[in-house]
Amino acid sequence: MTINHKLLDILRRGRNEHENHLIDGVVREAVSRREFLRYGSVLGLSAPLLGGISGALGFGLAPVAARAGTPGGTIRFGHIVPAGAINPVTIADPGGVTILSQFAEALVLSAPDLSAVPLLAESWAPNNDGTVWTFKLRQNVKFHNGKLMTADDVVATFDRLADPAVGSNALSALSGMLSKGGTRKVDDYTVEFHLDAANGNFPYAVSTDNYNAVIVPAEMPDDFEATMIGTGPFKLEKYTPKVGASFVRNPDYWGAAPLPDRIEITFYDDYQPQILALQAGEIDIIQQVPVLQAVGLLADPTFNIITTPSSAHHQVHMRTDMEPFKDKRVRRAIALTLDRPKFVQGLLRGKAQIGNDSPFMPAYPSTDSSVAQREMNIAEAKQLMEAAGMAGGFKTTLTTEKYLEIPDYAVLIQNAVKEIGGDITLNIMDQGAYYGDAVPGKSPWLDSEMGITDYGHRGVPNVFLQAPLSSTGTWNSAHFANAEYDTLVKGYIASLDLESQRASAGKIQTLLLDETPVIFSYFYDFLTVTKAGVTGVVATAMGHIMLAQASL
Amino acid sequence: MPGNVGRAMLGPFADQAAVDVLNHEMGTDRPVLVQYADWISGFVTGDMGMSYAYRSPVAPFLGTALLNSAKLAAVAFVLVVPLGIFGGVIAALYRGRPTDRILSVVGLSATVVPEFVSGILLILIFGVWLRWFPISATWADGAGPLTQLYHLILPAIPLVLILFGYIARMARAGMIEALDADYTRTAVLKGLSYPQVIWRHVLRNALLPTISVIATQTVYLIGGLVVIEILFHYQGIGSLIYTAAKKKDFPMLQAGVMSIGALFALTTLLADLLYARLNPRIRFGGQE
Repeated sequence: MTINHKLLDILRRGRNEHENHLIDGVVREAVSRREFLRYGSVLGLSAPLLGGISGALGFGLAPVAARAGTPGGTIRFGHIVPAGAINPVTIADPGGVTILSQFAEALVLSAPDLSAVPLLAESWAPNNDGTVWTFKLRQNVKFHNGKLMTADDVVATFDRLADPAVGSNALSALSGMLSKGGTRKVDDYTVEFHLDAANGNFPYAVSTDNYNAVIVPAEMPDDFEATMIGTGPFKLEKYTPKVGASFVRNPDYWGAAPLPDRIEITFYDDYQPQILALQAGEIDIIQQVPVLQAVGLLADPTFNIITTPSSAHHQVHMRTDMEPFKDKRVRRAIALTLDRPKFVQGLLRGKAQIGNDSPFMPAYPSTDSSVAQREMNIAEAKQLMEAAGMAGGFKTTLTTEKYLEIPDYAVLIQNAVKEIGGDITLNIMDQGAYYGDAVPGKSPWLDSEMGITDYGHRGVPNVFLQAPLSSTGTWNSAHFANAEYDTLVKGYIASLDLESQRASAGKIQTLLLDETPVIFSYFYDFLTVTKAGVTGVVATAMGHIMLAQASL
Repeated sequence: MPGNVGRAMLGPFADQAAVDVLNHEMGTDRPVLVQYADWISGFVTGDMGMSYAYRSPVAPFLGTALLNSAKLAAVAFVLVVPLGIFGGVIAALYRGRPTDRILSVVGLSATVVPEFVSGILLILIFGVWLRWFPISATWADGAGPLTQLYHLILPAIPLVLILFGYIARMARAGMIEALDADYTRTAVLKGLSYPQVIWRHVLRNALLPTISVIATQTVYLIGGLVVIEILFHYQGIGSLIYTAAKKKDFPMLQAGVMSIGALFALTTLLADLLYARLNPRIRFGGQE
C-alpha cells in the first residue's frame, strides 16, 4: 500500500476524532479497505471523501458497476400478501415492507453489502460520545403531494414512531435509544437525534433496517393507505387490499429518473403459486423465496437468483435456568454435536453463512474473525457431558414453530444429540401458538426449555445482542443472565470506532462460546428470483425491493 | 382460536406498550362477552364491523369475495351438473357394461384426487407448458365476462373432477331405481317411445336425490375452496376466511362464517322447494 501522506493530511483536516481513528486503523492495516468504506459510511463520511481517502491510501474506490437499463415498460412482481393496512407506523411484516419500499424512503439505506448509504439524508455525524447524531437532509425532495420534505416531517415521523401512545411497531427498535422529543429540528434541513444512550451504529436505526422509519408528511392522514404519500421513485396508482397494487413513475423524483413506467404487484398467500406464475410468465420477479421452495429454480437458466447475504437466522435457545441445561458444559456439548457445514449445504443448499454461536455473523465488519470457529467434535462433547455428570444422556423437549426449514433443522438437531445420549422430543407448533402472547408465562417461545426461533435480518447486531441475550432482554428465551455480558454489550453499543467495537465483539464472542445459551448455526441468505434478463433489481434482506433502475 | 389480536397484528417482536395501545384502540382489550354483544348488535342491523387487520369495513371485502366465489361456483356448477347427470344416466342405461364400469371407476377415482394435486397438474400442463390458460384466476380490472370465464376455467376443472363422480354416482343409482320401478314398466307397456319413457317418467323421478346432493355441494363450491383459491390466486370467501383466521381478524372471520352459514340455509331451502316442485308426493303430502 503506497500512501500519499500529503493528500491524506489534507483530507484529515476537519475530520473528527472518530473519523481520524478509523483512518489510523486503515493506515495500520488493522481495518480492511472494505470495512473502512462500510464503517466510514456509518460515521457519515461522504462518498467523495471516502473515495479521496481511499485514493490517498493507494487503493481507490472500486468502480460501481452500473449497466444502464432501458427506460419504460411495466415490471410485474409477486410477493406475500401484506398482513394488514399499509400504515408505516404499524407495518410489521415483509409484505407490508415491500409495498412501503415502492413509494417511501428512509433517511439511510442499509445496503445489501451492509454499508449505510445516504437516501433522504445527505450526510450525518455523531458528537464525541455518540449521544447526539446530526443529520443533514437532502434538499428539494418533494412528497408525492408536491410539498417539500423538511426537518419538520422528519421530527414528526420519529416522534410518532417513538411515541408509546400510538401503537408503533418501531417502538421496540427505538426503545432505550430514542424517545419521543429526542428528535429536534436545527433548521429546515438539519435534524439532531438526542439519544437515550450512546450508540455507535445509530444510522442503522433510522435506515431501511428500521423499516417503519420512512419519512412521511408531518400531517399523516388517517387513511394513509388511500394516498400512500412518500418521496419514493413511484407514486400510487391503485391499491386493492389482499389483491395487489400498481405504482407509476414519479416524475419529480429527486434521484436518477426511475426507468420503469409502471410497477404492477400481485399479492399471493403462498410461495408455490408465485413460482408457478413466474414459470408461466405472468410475473417477472418474486420478491423473496425461501431456499427450500426455490430448489427447482436454482439451476434453471431461465431464471436469475439474486442472493443477498443476511443476518437472518434461527436461534436455538436452551434454558440456562432449567435442567438439563443449567450446566454450560451440557449446552456446549450440544453445540459441538452439530455439523454446521453439512447443515448449510444440505438444509440450505449452500445459501447461508456458518454461524459461531453468537450474533456476530462473518459479514459484520465488527466481528472478530480471530475467534476460532466452533466445529463438530463428538469426543469433546462426550467429555463435557461426563464432566457435567451427565454421561448417561438427557431428555428434553424442543419446541418450535412450523416455519421455513425450522422443522427439518429440529430433526437434524434431534439426530445429532443422540451421539451424546440426548433424547429430544419435538413439539412443532403453528407460528401463532409458538409465540403466544409473547410475554413470559404465556408463550412457548419464551417458556420452553429448548426451542428454535426465526430472527429476521438486521444490518448491525445490536438488537440480536440485547433483546434475546441481555439479562433484561424481552426476548430472552434462554433466560440468560450474565452481568459481564451485559457490560460488554453496553460497551460495544456505545463505542464509536470500529477497532474498539471489534475488541468488545471478540470478548462477547468468546463469552458466548463459553456459555452457549443460544446456538447460532447459520445465517441464511435472502433469495430474490427474476426471469433471466431483468436487470437493476435491488433487494434488501428486510423485504425491500427497489426497482427504480430495473428494466426487463 | 384464542390469542391476542394486537400481538397477532404487530408480531411477536413488537413492544408490549404498542400492542396494548392497539388492543385498546380496537376494543379487543374488553371482555369477550362485551365484544360479542357489540358485534352481534351491529351484525343484526347490517353492520359487519371493521376488519382488525385492514382497518376498514368488512362488508366490501365480504361482498367482493362472495361475488367472486359465486362466479367460480357458477362456472364449476354449469360444467359439472350436466356432465355428472349425463354420465350417471349413461352409466345406468348401460348398467354392468364397460361404459358403466369406465364411467364409475374414472369418476370415483377423480373424486379422491385432492384439489392441490389436480390443480398443480393442470397449472403445469395448461398454464406453464402449453400456456393455453392463465394460471391466475384473478382478471384485470374492467375485464368482460368472456375474459372472466377464461380465467375461471382452469380452477373450475379440479372442482368438476371432484364432483363429477359423486353426482354421476347419485344420478346412476336414482336412474337404476327408476328404471326398475313399476311405473316405468307401465309406461313401456302402454307403448310410449323409449326417449319419452326416459324423459317424462324415469328422469323426473331419478334426479330427486341428486338435487339434494347438488344443493349441499353448492355450499362447498362457494365456501370451501381454500386450496383452489390459494393455488389459483383467487379472492374468494374461502381464502378470506383462511387469512382472517390466521391473523385473528375476528370481525372478518365471523362475517365470513355467518355468510356461509346463511348460504347453507338458503341453498337447503331452495333445494327443498325445488324437490317439492318436482315431487308431487311432497307437494300434496300435507293434504292427505
